[in-house]
Amino acid sequence: MTAGTGEPVKDGAPEAPGPRTLARRRRRASAARFWREYRTHRAGLVGLAALALFALVALTAPLTVGSDVSSVTGAPGQPLETPSGEFWLGTDRFGRDLLGLVVWGSRVSLLVGLLAAALCVAIGTLVGITAGHFKGAYATVVMRITDWFLVMPTLVLAIALATVMSRSLGTVVLAIGVTSWPTTARLVRAQTLAVEARPYIERARALGGGHRHIMVRHVLPNVMPLVLAQTTLMISSSILAEATLAFLGLGDPTVVSWGGLLQDAREAGSVSSGNWSYLVPPGLAIAGVALAFTLCGRAVESVLNPRLGVAR
Amino acid sequence: MSTSQQHGRARRRLAAATGAGALILTAGLVPQQAAAADGDKVLTVAVAQSVDSLSPFLAQRLLSTSIHRLTYEYLTNYDAEDARAVPALATKWTSSPDKLTWTYTIRSDSSWSDGERATAEDAAWTFNTMMTDPDAATANGSFVANFRKVTAPSPTELVIELKKPQATMTALDVPIVPKHVWEKVDDYSEFNNDKNFPIVGNGPFILTDYKPDSYVRLKANKDFWRGAPKFDELVFRYYKDQDAAVAALRKGEVSFVSGSPALTPAQASSLKSEKNIKVNDAPGRRFYALAVNPGARAKNGETFGDGDPSLKDERVRHALFMAVDRKTVVDKVFQGYAVQGEGYIPPRFDSYFWKPSDGQELAYDPAKAARLLDEAGYKKNGDGKRVGKDGKPLDYRVLCHATDPNDKAIGQYLQEWWGELGIGVSLNCVDNVTDPWLAGTYDLAFDGWSVNPDPDFVMSIHTCGALPATPKDTGATDNFICDKQYDELYAKQLAEYDPVKRADLVKQMQSRLYDLGYMNVMAYPNAVEAYRTDQIASITTMPKKAGNIYGQDGYWSWWSATPADTGDSGGSDSTGVVVGIVAGVVVLVGAGAFLALRRRSTAEDRE
Repeated sequence: MTAGTGEPVKDGAPEAPGPRTLARRRRRASAARFWREYRTHRAGLVGLAALALFALVALTAPLTVGSDVSSVTGAPGQPLETPSGEFWLGTDRFGRDLLGLVVWGSRVSLLVGLLAAALCVAIGTLVGITAGHFKGAYATVVMRITDWFLVMPTLVLAIALATVMSRSLGTVVLAIGVTSWPTTARLVRAQTLAVEARPYIERARALGGGHRHIMVRHVLPNVMPLVLAQTTLMISSSILAEATLAFLGLGDPTVVSWGGLLQDAREAGSVSSGNWSYLVPPGLAIAGVALAFTLCGRAVESVLNPRLGVAR
Repeated sequence: MSTSQQHGRARRRLAAATGAGALILTAGLVPQQAAAADGDKVLTVAVAQSVDSLSPFLAQRLLSTSIHRLTYEYLTNYDAEDARAVPALATKWTSSPDKLTWTYTIRSDSSWSDGERATAEDAAWTFNTMMTDPDAATANGSFVANFRKVTAPSPTELVIELKKPQATMTALDVPIVPKHVWEKVDDYSEFNNDKNFPIVGNGPFILTDYKPDSYVRLKANKDFWRGAPKFDELVFRYYKDQDAAVAALRKGEVSFVSGSPALTPAQASSLKSEKNIKVNDAPGRRFYALAVNPGARAKNGETFGDGDPSLKDERVRHALFMAVDRKTVVDKVFQGYAVQGEGYIPPRFDSYFWKPSDGQELAYDPAKAARLLDEAGYKKNGDGKRVGKDGKPLDYRVLCHATDPNDKAIGQYLQEWWGELGIGVSLNCVDNVTDPWLAGTYDLAFDGWSVNPDPDFVMSIHTCGALPATPKDTGATDNFICDKQYDELYAKQLAEYDPVKRADLVKQMQSRLYDLGYMNVMAYPNAVEAYRTDQIASITTMPKKAGNIYGQDGYWSWWSATPADTGDSGGSDSTGVVVGIVAGVVVLVGAGAFLALRRRSTAEDRE
């Protein structure tokens, strides 16, 4: 036994890794295991590829089409042209190139979808963990509020919010975020209760871990997989909600988004005049992205939660 | 004929969305059966506006006033040919040499639908009620504000004495109501005339049924003095969505679509190629403008609202005016279904139409607009934004109707045109524009009015007299304009009986209004409407040559409409429905079979 300060022994066993290295190694291993499992889900891979494609399109949009594509005064074509060699999908009611608009619109739709999903999962996680941890009167009150939001039709609430606030992207993000968190909160609370029943939490408490320590260091990492899967699934519904709000005319009319394009098409009378090239591309894009996120989310969910069984 | 086309369409739609298709079909079934129940010829009109009130003392919307034209007689009517005053309830009229006493001869062959005769007493009572009860003056008070006394010396004679001469005496757009029914009403501000059907009237049609936001049903008045209408029934059906109305027209569920306020260019072009449908593209009676808030104020001198003070500078207004390319608005937004805006009154009313002279015209010239703004002291700063001397950037809120696609489209152009000048634009598109409008909490707003053959009303809304009495009241004013020179001209034209001299005064007023730069009339939208020629054989437009059908000043269109021989249209409709239902069932069975098969194939995987 060496008398001393308790410094880590350096000479005896040089290959004995420190706790941080261990943790890092463990995480790498589990990531590799996750990816191995994920690879077996064909649908998940397809979704991932589609997502990569959409992300690429959105990120490179300033290079490929540029912000000029949304300019109405510099519109290159005549209003409502049919698809041609110059305009592959025809033009919109201002004479702008529809293909360019769909590409440009992906930025807003994805951005709003991601932000709204992040906001809603953040609220849901916060509410869920605190409700699961503190229990008692606090949990009762918070969970009743959650129930109230759960039974409220999300769309109606979002429309009401978007109506009273000024029309901007922030409003739409907020309207979607604050109305769709209850499912996440319920899920996270259930998982929190399960985690907190485990003995090591009791041990941590006995060693003097405070509320904050337990929630952040022990519960959060354990509910994280669930939150991750939930986020992926939430994004697709957020994108749909954004498109719905824009389609109903509650978005900012000067911002190009897929839902906004659909609304423009409807107002121009494309539905009754059978002008499909105006309506179909943004609709397909919305459906494609929502599907891709759902496929990914399902795959992630079934990898992280073996109880779900084999899903294809 | 068109049956095969209809089948194809019905099936395509079903294949695309089974559930929705089935819903639409079942919803479509009901009115057809109701209409086919008896052999009556029904004319169904799809309208995009709901009724505000059926009381002639309150109604202001175009649909409601059109219904009043159909159900009540007015003293005079407008000729379908050239909009001159023609006899209606009054057969002839004379004025005293000083033009202050007007005597109308009331016809003796007009009777109310409950059998009583319509007399001068009814007319006198209607005007007197509007003169004594402010609630009854809500809708048409401007006509009687100058009346001194109205009497009915005999059942066929009506005498109106005026305080000052009034040019609109042969164009009094006031429905005459039956005294014996209406004198029982206690509160005219509350009574909406929608309880006791049929509503007692004496127009070419009798109102028999009304359901708010759904339909208004009218029956032909067989005893109408000018002759009974050819259709037995006239139904105004409310369609909130214009695409749905157009789809209903294609299917033959409605005979006429008016559009709100017009069919879109895409709809019009696609309907033009349709068999049995005629698109009526007529010069409109509306102007479509951008109105400036010059600072909301009341008659008592109080100011309210929060309009941008920079807009009080005429140079700024002219700069904004000159940075709007009206040609692009007509070419791109209206796609040719409009006439470029110039003066205030649309060119259709050629005797009053005015356009700016070359030196006066504020043509599209962004460079000149920039110079004007520089002169006015709004110079561009480092970020390319115009700032005033107080360092505040020029940012305007533009109030737009969330339901009007044209507002939103032009708003986007404004953002770029004015953005180029260094002026920020935020589009504030709302469903309810009335509240911010009356409160004066906007900088600029999209504005539009239908103009009557007599321009008195649309000119009156820009006078100081139309301002609200106090900030709490509601005035008839459009956008709080109050200009002394304009008011003097207005008073002069109202007292002028010589049509040529009066037209000249009206033109001077328009010139003054143009120079002030408060109203930028961008376009005169056409009336684009469509009807089924296999249901309506002929219909009178107003004016007869290249005129509109819906929202006429008289009742000519619906009164004159003649039904077409429609032996097969009902049959083709129902076969379309049958095929649709069969297709729906096939799709459902297919989906069910697919699910069942899938279920069986995965049965082993399940527990």
